[in-house]
Amino acid sequence: MRIGSEYQIADRGEFVVTVVLVADDDPDIRDLVAFKLEQAGFDVIAVADGQAALEQARTRQPTLAVLDISMPGLSGIDVCRILRGDPATAGMLIIMLTARVQEHDVEGGFSAGADDYVTKPFSPRELVSRIQALLSRARA
Amino acid sequence: MRRDRSVGFLLTRAFVVLVGLIVCSGVVETAAVLQQHLMVRALTTHVQPLRLANAELRGVLADAQLGVRGYSLTGDGEMLGAFRSALIEYAVAGRALRAMADEDEAPAVDEQLARADTWFEIAELQSRAPPRSAEAVRYAGEAGPLFLAFMAANRDFDADLAERTDELRSLSFRLGGATIVVLVALTVGAALIAACTAVMTARRITIPLGDVVRVLARRGRGELEARADAGGGPTEIRAVAAALNAMADESDRARDAERDVARLRGVVRELGYRIRAHLNVRDAIDEAVRELAEIMRADHVLVRMAPGHPEAPQLSSLRDEHADGPLAPLAGCDVGWLGSGDVWTSGDRPPDGGAQPPEAERRACAQAGDGPVLTVAVSAGEDRLGALTLIRDAGPPFGPVDIQLAESVAGDLGRAVHLARLYEREQQLVARLQELDTAKTDFMSTVSHELRTPLTSIAGYLELLEDAEAGELNPQQARMLEVIGRNTRRLRELIEQLLLLSKIESGAFHATRHQVDLAELVEAAVAAISPAAAQAQVGLHTEVRGPLRLDADAGQLDRLLMNLLTNAVKFTPAAGTVSLLARREADEVVIAVEDTGMGVPEGEQDALFTRFFRASNAVREAVPGTGLGLAIVGAVVDNHHGRIEMRSAEGAGTTVTIHLPVS
Repeated sequence: MRIGSEYQIADRGEFVVTVVLVADDDPDIRDLVAFKLEQAGFDVIAVADGQAALEQARTRQPTLAVLDISMPGLSGIDVCRILRGDPATAGMLIIMLTARVQEHDVEGGFSAGADDYVTKPFSPRELVSRIQALLSRARA
Repeated sequence: MRRDRSVGFLLTRAFVVLVGLIVCSGVVETAAVLQQHLMVRALTTHVQPLRLANAELRGVLADAQLGVRGYSLTGDGEMLGAFRSALIEYAVAGRALRAMADEDEAPAVDEQLARADTWFEIAELQSRAPPRSAEAVRYAGEAGPLFLAFMAANRDFDADLAERTDELRSLSFRLGGATIVVLVALTVGAALIAACTAVMTARRITIPLGDVVRVLARRGRGELEARADAGGGPTEIRAVAAALNAMADESDRARDAERDVARLRGVVRELGYRIRAHLNVRDAIDEAVRELAEIMRADHVLVRMAPGHPEAPQLSSLRDEHADGPLAPLAGCDVGWLGSGDVWTSGDRPPDGGAQPPEAERRACAQAGDGPVLTVAVSAGEDRLGALTLIRDAGPPFGPVDIQLAESVAGDLGRAVHLARLYEREQQLVARLQELDTAKTDFMSTVSHELRTPLTSIAGYLELLEDAEAGELNPQQARMLEVIGRNTRRLRELIEQLLLLSKIESGAFHATRHQVDLAELVEAAVAAISPAAAQAQVGLHTEVRGPLRLDADAGQLDRLLMNLLTNAVKFTPAAGTVSLLARREADEVVIAVEDTGMGVPEGEQDALFTRFFRASNAVREAVPGTGLGLAIVGAVVDNHHGRIEMRSAEGAGTTVTIHLPVS
């Protein structure tokens, strides 16, 4: 029995696992987040760059995406903007991870359409609680 | 009235009139005196003696008659003797009277004498007749009427003379009266004429002279157009007026010339401003060349720069005549002969010890034009940068004013070249500084990212382990992980503070300043520190006399307050107090944070604001810290042009006072 596990009740009355996309070029952090989210009961798709994140977001249609801002190729902000621009993925919940507390990063993230952001170094526990808060707000 | 008389003439005329009047009155008086004198003389030397002689004659005849009658009556011989002596006296008196009488009187005298002679003839006969004889009686009868006739003639003559005496007297009296009247009239007339002449002369002299004096006074007051009337008045005054006018014209001309020079100076000064305003040397030199040609009426202008000044063009000239125009030979001449501040001008004037151009330069100048040449050194301080040459095809030689103006422009050119060089260096420096700034920003950004990423992994996995997500831990493992956790937090704090410090220190360039109410910031900071203070059992007092508005970066001030309060709480033992006092003092906002903590050792207080410095007692007592908190406070205060004071006694407490200017 997992405490705090995330399930959605589908129309047919079945339990459906919430799918979360995690994109970070640092494998340790990616694994950390994936591990913590899986522990929390989410179905996690972990990718290493922006391009892969876009592809996965389009094919798997996750409920929520955790995007690192500084990634090679497409940055988290770019990915966020593209997802918001595509009607198929426009409603996705997005949390940005940033290593910088500089204001223009945060502003950039929000102007690209992020729902929330978390600065590194972050507590995995806090990340999970932010995700849960965002999901419950979206459902309400 | 003729107006071209001289002062001398007027004065002479006035005096001539006066002298004439005086002479006139003298002549009149003399004539009157002379006339009177003549009358008196006529009276005393002629009329009176004549009358006396006439009376004598009458007496003589009376004596003779008395004698002859007496004799005839008495026959007294004595009587006869009297008659005879009277006869003799008659001859004398008769001659005397005759001699004294003038032509007019002669007939009367002759008549009288004739009657006397006639009587004497009869009396003679009577005296010869015997006394008391009939003959004697007859003669006596005959002589009686004759004697009476003589007496009548004698009386008539006497009356005549008496009348003349009276006449002369009254004439003399009248003459005296007339003389007095004439003299008085003459004197009054002379006085009137003299007064009139004096007044007229004075007016003819003083009025034009007064005009001249008034003109002088008006010019003195600055009415420069005032001119004296040189067309009227006496010759001398007209000469003075003409001289005054000539002087005024001359002084006006001099003033005009001065104004001209001043205007030129103004034009040159403006040119100087424009030259110095150019940051591009080529533009500055071109403008100087163009404007100088116009201002100084030069037909050729050439600027030669000495080698070693790459920021300025080697040669510049009006209409680019140095390329292959008339200035080409001069352009090829070296300016080495000209020292800093030197001037050379062609002309008849002997050179006054200044620089002398070599023969080649003189020939080159002559090829450019026949007119005067002026060459001025272009210098910056003692450094001779080049030469400015002005040549006129014809016209007056360059005077001292021209030289001054050219020197002024050359000086401005020198400064412009110098400034351009400085500007170029500054540009390079700015570019390098910008490069450095960018590199630093990039570096900070990279460090920020690169340090936070591994920290994220460490802290994240640590949390997973502590949360027992990878299995339960035994107490020893838990303790070890706690150590790792504490040091991770310390490392993280260190990185954050270091990044913050470098951001604030570079903040001089990018500080975002707004009107900030420090009272609000203090309230927020105190609220933020309260839980920590409560946990450490430290009392917290705030005294803020707000509002405390100042121009500042709110984020930086917040960091400053937080660091001060954190430090104070951290170093204060339980039951101690931390007080924060903020108030306005003149044009400063003063913040004082006081604690009753461990204090700072005497010798270490100065070093407290340097990075990574930690007080020895804090290290000894293992109070955690990075040594960056106060360095950040110092950087924030520097950024806001404020100052810090620190008072501390070890074991008693510390007070940090910060003064920030309001704007």
